[in-house]
Amino acid sequence: MPIERGLQYLRQMQRVTLKNLPMPLEKTLKWQKAHPDETKIKAIMSRKGPISRNALPPYGIDPIQAEGRLPWILTVPKEPYYEGIEEARQYLPISLRTLQRLIDLRRINPEKPIDLPVLCNTKLFSIQPDQRQFGLQLIDEGADLFSTPINLEIQWVASELAIAAIERCGGVLTTRYFDPISLSALIDAKKFFERGEPIPRCDTPPINAVEYYTDPKQRGYLANPDSIREERQRLAQKYGYKLPDPSKFSSLFRLKKDPRQIFYGLEPGWLVNLKDQTILKPTDSKFQTFYHS
Amino acid sequence: MLRSLSLVKILRNCSLQSIRYFESSTQSSSFSPESSANPIPQQLPLIVSRQLEYPHTRYPPLQAWLETLGQKRDDKLGIVDLHPSIWQTSPRLDILYENIEWQKTYKKIDWAYTPPHHEYPSMRGKPWPQKGTGRARHKSKFDPQWKGGYKVHGPKGPTSFFYVLPKEKRVEGLCTALTVKLHQNDVHFVDSLDLPTHQPTYLQELAEDRFWGPSVLFVDDTDIMPHNIMFASAKTEGFTLMPVYGLNVYSILKHTTLVLTIRALNKIEKKLLHALHSCDNPKDQPAPPDEP
Repeated sequence: MPIERGLQYLRQMQRVTLKNLPMPLEKTLKWQKAHPDETKIKAIMSRKGPISRNALPPYGIDPIQAEGRLPWILTVPKEPYYEGIEEARQYLPISLRTLQRLIDLRRINPEKPIDLPVLCNTKLFSIQPDQRQFGLQLIDEGADLFSTPINLEIQWVASELAIAAIERCGGVLTTRYFDPISLSALIDAKKFFERGEPIPRCDTPPINAVEYYTDPKQRGYLANPDSIREERQRLAQKYGYKLPDPSKFSSLFRLKKDPRQIFYGLEPGWLVNLKDQTILKPTDSKFQTFYHS
Repeated sequence: MLRSLSLVKILRNCSLQSIRYFESSTQSSSFSPESSANPIPQQLPLIVSRQLEYPHTRYPPLQAWLETLGQKRDDKLGIVDLHPSIWQTSPRLDILYENIEWQKTYKKIDWAYTPPHHEYPSMRGKPWPQKGTGRARHKSKFDPQWKGGYKVHGPKGPTSFFYVLPKEKRVEGLCTALTVKLHQNDVHFVDSLDLPTHQPTYLQELAEDRFWGPSVLFVDDTDIMPHNIMFASAKTEGFTLMPVYGLNVYSILKHTTLVLTIRALNKIEKKLLHALHSCDNPKDQPAPPDEP
């Protein structure tokens, strides 16, 4: 254990005083010589020549002895193992186990619909939209433990077992896509409202995600509700549980968001004023057509 | 003279669980300094448990002796529990360095000022004609190469080196300073700072007998200290008194030993644990508990 080893050294070594503390590496001359400042380099180097004029030949070529040899960038083959990683979407995992734990510890209210801002307010997930993270995905660890009916809205589900675990207890699951601008509004809603911007209108998903979000098997928000009902029956038969009566659900369980809507109860285009506790709605027709389209 | 009743009151603040021996013997005990005739009624040191907030998942609470200043003989009164998040953190000396550097430089103001060339007397006038004198050619008397001339890119005006170290680093610095002192046997816990006499020799001899280093830092709950210790520490070089709100990494490392009262320990642990376990922004943070 590193702490215990460090404390063992402390007990054996000299008393730590103001003069005994080690200087950080960046202040030593050795490090500063190895990492010179850019302005220093420019001041020292010459103003002429290929280096200063950005005219160096490509690596792997000696201009005197070239004679038909290729530069290294053309001789070395390309091995694109991580191709497409800059466009790939990331989803942070949340397991059924953590969900159940949060409900048991009363950090989440299962009687209200569970949304992305609700889960971000627990401060357990730090979603960064600029790192190509698009929300949360549900993981099936703890499917046996899960036992509360909830109305859950998540961004991705990879396994059928997770969907089955929620629906067996009488819950409702939808997968929903949020684009990065609306995601940054959802993660920290208070900060977003303090900025004073109107609520954005959620974009349609990208082309390689449309198939996922129109699929009733993944309970996409763009799928046909009749086919979703069919799929619920099919899953119940496959995993061997009985679907509870839909009439027993409370009205909150049927709450669903419009494909352009981000927050429950708030429409896109509205401006929320926290200081005066008011909401401003646009009256101009062109704004209304834009936000309601 | 040790006031045994006050000790009971103090220990009640830290919710105690087993103190039966002590309570039964308070009436009979009455201490006096350098007393071998009246020994402490308890034969063994007792374990007085303190309830710790936010218990650590991995480490059990540490334990340290509880001593007195009321008598010269080093009889231990009991054992105190310490929270491992504060008293058993990794000894990050680089964080200590950063804290000390911050404490030194945030107050620093560099008053150096060299006036630029437009604040010098008039530049018109050659000192001597261009040709004929045999001396070097010059245009003005205040050029940089002259003695008493202006400096081109010199220091301009008071520059401040103020910056605020992030709160997590300051809290971590305090915790590491306390662990370093504890694991090098330089921390002593004391029931209160009540002394029997105001003579400075009493305290000095007490510190010498117990090998408490040339400089000692006494930390108490409030900034109003008993009269005896005030007088004694004012007359000795190296002994300082400090309330809890003045505790800082520089002072902890400057003094060789650190003497904390139980009240101070409670307050310090409460404040540091509250700071370690809150995840709000500084704007959203609720007021800390128990302002001084």
